[in-house]
Amino acid sequence: MIQYELQQVTQQYNGKTVLNIKKLEIESGKIYGLLGANGAGKTTLFNILSFLEAPASGQVVFAGQSVFFGRTELHKLRRRVVMVDQYPIMFTTTVFKNIEFGLKIRGMTKERRQAVIDEALDMVDLAAYRGASAAELSGGETQRLALARALALSPEVMLCDEPTANVDVENQAVIRALLTRVNLETRCTILFTSHDRLQAAGLADETVVLEKGELVDTSYENIFSCSLESKGKGQKICLLQQKIPFSLPGFVPEAEGRDYRVYLNPDKIKLVQGGQQVQQRRGVLFGTINLMMAEGEKVRLIVNAGVMVTVLLPVDEYAQLRLAIGDAVTLKLKPDAVEWL
Amino acid sequence: MSFFIDSFLSAISLVVTLDPELFQVVRVSLRVSCISTLVAAVGGIPLGFFIAYGNIKGKRMVITLLNTMLAMPTVVIGLFVYAFISRRGVFGVFDLLYTQNAIIVGQVFLITPLIAALTIAAVSRIDERYSKTAKTLGANSLQTVLVILREAQFGICAAVISAFGRVVSEIGISMMLGGNIKGFTRTMTTAMALEYDKGSFTLAVALGLVLMSISLIMNVLFNFVQGRGRL
Repeated sequence: MIQYELQQVTQQYNGKTVLNIKKLEIESGKIYGLLGANGAGKTTLFNILSFLEAPASGQVVFAGQSVFFGRTELHKLRRRVVMVDQYPIMFTTTVFKNIEFGLKIRGMTKERRQAVIDEALDMVDLAAYRGASAAELSGGETQRLALARALALSPEVMLCDEPTANVDVENQAVIRALLTRVNLETRCTILFTSHDRLQAAGLADETVVLEKGELVDTSYENIFSCSLESKGKGQKICLLQQKIPFSLPGFVPEAEGRDYRVYLNPDKIKLVQGGQQVQQRRGVLFGTINLMMAEGEKVRLIVNAGVMVTVLLPVDEYAQLRLAIGDAVTLKLKPDAVEWL
Repeated sequence: MSFFIDSFLSAISLVVTLDPELFQVVRVSLRVSCISTLVAAVGGIPLGFFIAYGNIKGKRMVITLLNTMLAMPTVVIGLFVYAFISRRGVFGVFDLLYTQNAIIVGQVFLITPLIAALTIAAVSRIDERYSKTAKTLGANSLQTVLVILREAQFGICAAVISAFGRVVSEIGISMMLGGNIKGFTRTMTTAMALEYDKGSFTLAVALGLVLMSISLIMNVLFNFVQGRGRL
């Protein structure tokens, strides 16, 4: 079943288009990672998906029904979708009453409310804080409370804005495990935003990437800011993240002195064992393997080449190369592996 | 100096012995001030909330106007209301002049802008995400408004306490619209002015003591409420 279907959806602020989605389908019961840089339109899209704001144009279909963004309709729809903010706001009251708010306005009986709240607090391991003031909780506990507050409402969809961005590693693991468990147990559709491609890969069934308000067909990794420098004879050197010199193959923009964004397609990077940098060679980077993880038919390798470059290798190619963490490798890029954004 | 000490001791005696005249004046003052504060709060809080939260045109102009009204002298308000409620005024038929209700009307005009301005300040400080959070948890418009008011409750309480402090100590409106009629519209401040004119300081000092005690209680309450808001 399709949970959301967006067609030609745009959003504008002060005449500037900040979101322009041609088509997007979100299947129910899945976990989606929404990736994108700051200002890519993630929060705007979440505000539309959570029915907090109407798009400037386009059509939104929710669970098979077209949404007309009328006040009464929105209020009903909001009760089926809950958004958890990156910096969750807790009402100035106890942990218990924060969770109780949504249940109370839904007219749930007191006995039922107490049972649901206790269950939600158990789920996020905050039962000991039931009567505590929400303001006394740490960042990680606050994020867990926000999730408990959302989960208690048994939503069809949960939208989590960077749920692990501001919590420690321990809480990140707890939150990831919790979202996975909720999705498995309740089949609640979960969408979360993230800058972290690896986190998204570990948690999401599908990923959606936004770039300047538009959906792009990249995997939101290997996108680097860069500037260009002349190296004589018309040759240009690209400084990846303004620090790592890289002679890019294929087309290179003319203008210097401005910042660009370049995408290195991880599927099209060829990896060769060994090698060390002696001099700049066109389309070649050197580095060491930092991380490897299996992803279905492929293996994801993170190579430290001064910047972290992701390479996706088919499993059989990986097996032939017999790679290990710490190995020195050479990355070879052909023109079709590079895209200027 | 001995004259002042004698007056002071006599004043304490009036307070301790619960002097009927003294307590009649205090009773009128408190009644009038409480009612006017209540009425102004009922009007001023929603007005302030609407201005702060609503998407209205000319918001800055309205806020500037309200802030200007905070500095309005009580005698100007007294004169303004007098023009309306005197026998020749538009509301002359209601026969309000020189009644407690007339004082209440004047005081409501005095403190409604104060309560509205302080409510605007209190509500504006509330993070917009409270509203977003309430909505995403399923709250309708009214429930969202109540969430914001609850978060701003300490600031709003402080606004109401400040307003009460303002009316209980004002004299211009009480004198011009109440007429300082003994046992009927005589308030603490007008009685003090009268006793001063008569050169009889005992009752004036006693009323001063009561008024200062009320101010002290108001300030303690104000600090207590603000302190809770910071918790």
